[in-house]
Amino acid sequence: MAFADDLLKDAYHLAARGGKNPRQSSLRRAVSSAYYALFHLLIADFVLNWRRPDQRVRLGRMFEHRKMSQAVFKFPGATLTPVEAELKKVIAAFAQLQENRYTADYDFGSNWSRIDVTNALAIADEAFKAWRIIRKERIAQDHLLTMFGARRV
Amino acid sequence: MYLPIAVRKQPQIDAAVAEVAALLAPDVVHIRYEIGQDWSGQGAIFFRVLLSDEAGKKRLREVATQVVRHLADRLDFPALEVFPYHNFRSASEQAVFREEAWA
Repeated sequence: MAFADDLLKDAYHLAARGGKNPRQSSLRRAVSSAYYALFHLLIADFVLNWRRPDQRVRLGRMFEHRKMSQAVFKFPGATLTPVEAELKKVIAAFAQLQENRYTADYDFGSNWSRIDVTNALAIADEAFKAWRIIRKERIAQDHLLTMFGARRV
Repeated sequence: MYLPIAVRKQPQIDAAVAEVAALLAPDVVHIRYEIGQDWSGQGAIFFRVLLSDEAGKKRLREVATQVVRHLADRLDFPALEVFPYHNFRSASEQAVFREEAWA
C-alpha cells in the first residue's frame, strides 16, 4: 500500500504549498493525487488476491475509472451494519474524489479553493481509514469485484 | 438528452436546501446547486456550499459532514435520479474569486 500512502502524502504536500496564496496548479494536483491515492489503495488490495505477483500490475491496469464509480452496492437493510457503514463511506468518497479529479484536471472554468481541497483530502484520509477497517470483509472484497466490472449474481 | 427526475422536482429541492442552510447557519452562508451530468454522463446534482470563514477554518469537516448528511436526509437522490456532489469554499475565498455560480 506504500504507493497509495505516498500519493496521499503528496496530495497534502501540494495542498500546503504557497502559503496563503496557493497556485491553482498545486491545488489541482493535490485534488488529483488524492483521488489516485484512493484508486491505487483499492486496486492494490484487489490484485493481492491474484496468486502470481508478477501479473498483478497487468491485472490492476484493467480497472476502469468509469466502471469503478458506477459500481453499485445495494445495502440490504434500512439500518447499516458497521461494516456496511464504512463501505458506504468509501463508495461515497470514491465518487466525490473522482468527480473532483475530473474537474481539477479538465475544467479550468472555475477556481479551486484551499478549503475545498482541504475537505477533499480529509475525505480521502477518512476513506483510507474506513477501507483499512473493512478491507478483508467479504462485502468489501465483493465490492472490489464489482468495481473491477464483474456483474453481481 | 435524458433529464433526471430532479429537474422536475426543483421546488422540493429548493425547500430542502433552504432548510439545511437555515439549520446550519451561521456556519453555512448559503447553498447553491446545479443539476447536470457528472464526468461519466450520469445524472448529478452539484452542491456549492459557501461557509463562514470561521467554519471553514475551525470546523470544516464537522460542518461539511453535517451538510452532506442533512441534504441526504431530506432528498432521496436515487429517486431523483442524481448522484450528489458537494464542494465548499469560504466567504473570504469567494470574495477573492467572485464567481457567479457561488454567489
